[in-house]
Amino acid sequence: MGVWTWVSIAVAVAAVIAWYLSYTAARLDRLHARVEGSVSALDAQLVRRAETGLELANSGLLDPASSMLLTEACAASLDESDVTEVRSEVQRHGVDRRRARIESELSETLRAVLVPEVVVELADTAQGTEVLRRVQQTAQRVQLAHRFHNDAVHDVQRVRTKPLVRIFRLAGHTLLPEVVDFDDNGPDLTGV
Amino acid sequence: MRVGIVSPYSFDVPGGVQLHVRDLAEWLLGHGHEVNVLAPADEDTPLPGYVTGAGRAVPVPYNGSVARLLFGPLTGARVARWVEHGRFDLVHVHEPVSPSLSMLAMWAVEGPLVATFHTSGTRSRALLASRPALQPGLEKISGRIAVSDEARRFVREHIGGDAVVIPNGVYADRFAAAAPRPEWQGNPEAPTLGFLGRIEEPRKGLPVLLDAIPALLQRFPRLRVLVAGPGDPQVALAGRSPAVREACVFLGRVSDEDKARLLRSVDAYVAPNTGGESFGIILVEAMSACAPVVASDLHAFRAVLDDGWAGALFVNEDSRDLAAVLTDLLLAPADRADLARRGAERARRFDWDKVAGEIVNVYETVLEASPLRAGVPVDARPTRWWRGGN
Repeated sequence: MGVWTWVSIAVAVAAVIAWYLSYTAARLDRLHARVEGSVSALDAQLVRRAETGLELANSGLLDPASSMLLTEACAASLDESDVTEVRSEVQRHGVDRRRARIESELSETLRAVLVPEVVVELADTAQGTEVLRRVQQTAQRVQLAHRFHNDAVHDVQRVRTKPLVRIFRLAGHTLLPEVVDFDDNGPDLTGV
Repeated sequence: MRVGIVSPYSFDVPGGVQLHVRDLAEWLLGHGHEVNVLAPADEDTPLPGYVTGAGRAVPVPYNGSVARLLFGPLTGARVARWVEHGRFDLVHVHEPVSPSLSMLAMWAVEGPLVATFHTSGTRSRALLASRPALQPGLEKISGRIAVSDEARRFVREHIGGDAVVIPNGVYADRFAAAAPRPEWQGNPEAPTLGFLGRIEEPRKGLPVLLDAIPALLQRFPRLRVLVAGPGDPQVALAGRSPAVREACVFLGRVSDEDKARLLRSVDAYVAPNTGGESFGIILVEAMSACAPVVASDLHAFRAVLDDGWAGALFVNEDSRDLAAVLTDLLLAPADRADLARRGAERARRFDWDKVAGEIVNVYETVLEASPLRAGVPVDARPTRWWRGGN
């Protein structure tokens, strides 16, 4: 085979590699965008859940002790979300361990406060039913946003462990996102 | 919101996925959303106004039976056009790993994407081998739904990541309100049993039920088994005794209305399926119609029947056990009524108002997470061509 055959083979191979790299970079870019979106959605849902919880705590429908526990847990969650916003790192770091612990505690508190007997009692009044409905919805959406975010993280991690992606540093300076782990189980409100 | 829904299977063939898509679309339309459904359809099939036909599906062997699927470059272009012209806020594909429209739609969609996994039975070898081609499409899904724990396990094991479980829905009231048909109703001496499903497909389990009939006839000589579903009765009955042949009444394919009336009429509904079921919507329909349900103990059925609380279970493929369970039930009207009542209660969990509400929750969560809304300007992102054309 002549020199030109080898040259054209080399060019073809280089072109294929170049295409693959640009394709993968674009795919990675899309995945990073998805993670950014999913983490800000999770952030928003967490804030909404805490606000709804606070509303329930202040509604006068609960006994004072339950109210206080719930207020405490919701306020902690809201404070933490403010801090996170000030540091404006939600989009870069996701939800850190500290915030995850606070959110687990809020889930736990909601379950402890909204035991079946209380739920039945609350569901008796129109105002109670309405608040319960919102608590259920926000809790469910936290769960959805949490799961969707971890799925997105999972997808990014898989692509970024590919050898070519690492060698050519296709991810640039973007931090490798980590899955967020917290207890997102809402209270049992199936009866509402 | 404006939702585009993609069904991989055509509407003229009955099936769980198509029914789910149709019911969901109608619920969304009834609640103020704009919906367009893309589904395979022959050119001359009359379609509801909200359905766009994507062309004629071809029968191909897939997953152990012959499925009518739609694929190829022409279809791909048509799907891309539908996505582009639809200007949807969100696209919801069903059964994303079946080689049909949904897969092509995932390829074409750029915006928020939700996918529902229905089956747990896709062969993992084919899936593994085509993984590199599928992965980029699957990565675009921002919200994954599984219709059952079985389907969710499939996602975790074969796709990676996780999915939220939202069951199939049923318009429970339609079944509860159907009027029984006297000729399908039984009495203590001559009880009636119902079966629904393609009669030639062994995994629907008709042979298991037929095997149980001789034992049942000894106790109830005038028992009738009402079999509704497409297929040739002669093939199903080949080699059966005259007594069994006489006990079986074949109704052929029945309308939705007659299906509900059948379920309202029978003394028990039997689901002897031997496998390949991911959910079992028919059980929920039977429960909504207050029919006592007797089902094989598949994972999916156990889950729907709340481990036997809302319906009686028998050992899968064991017709002797089926006969015993049915005999006990047919001899005890009070137990039967109890079972029917618990079934109706259980069925409420699957009512469309509840199920669709959860799906809308997913839509809204996904929309909120969409990069376009999260402050990433559209123009700053590479163009479609640049990004590898998918």
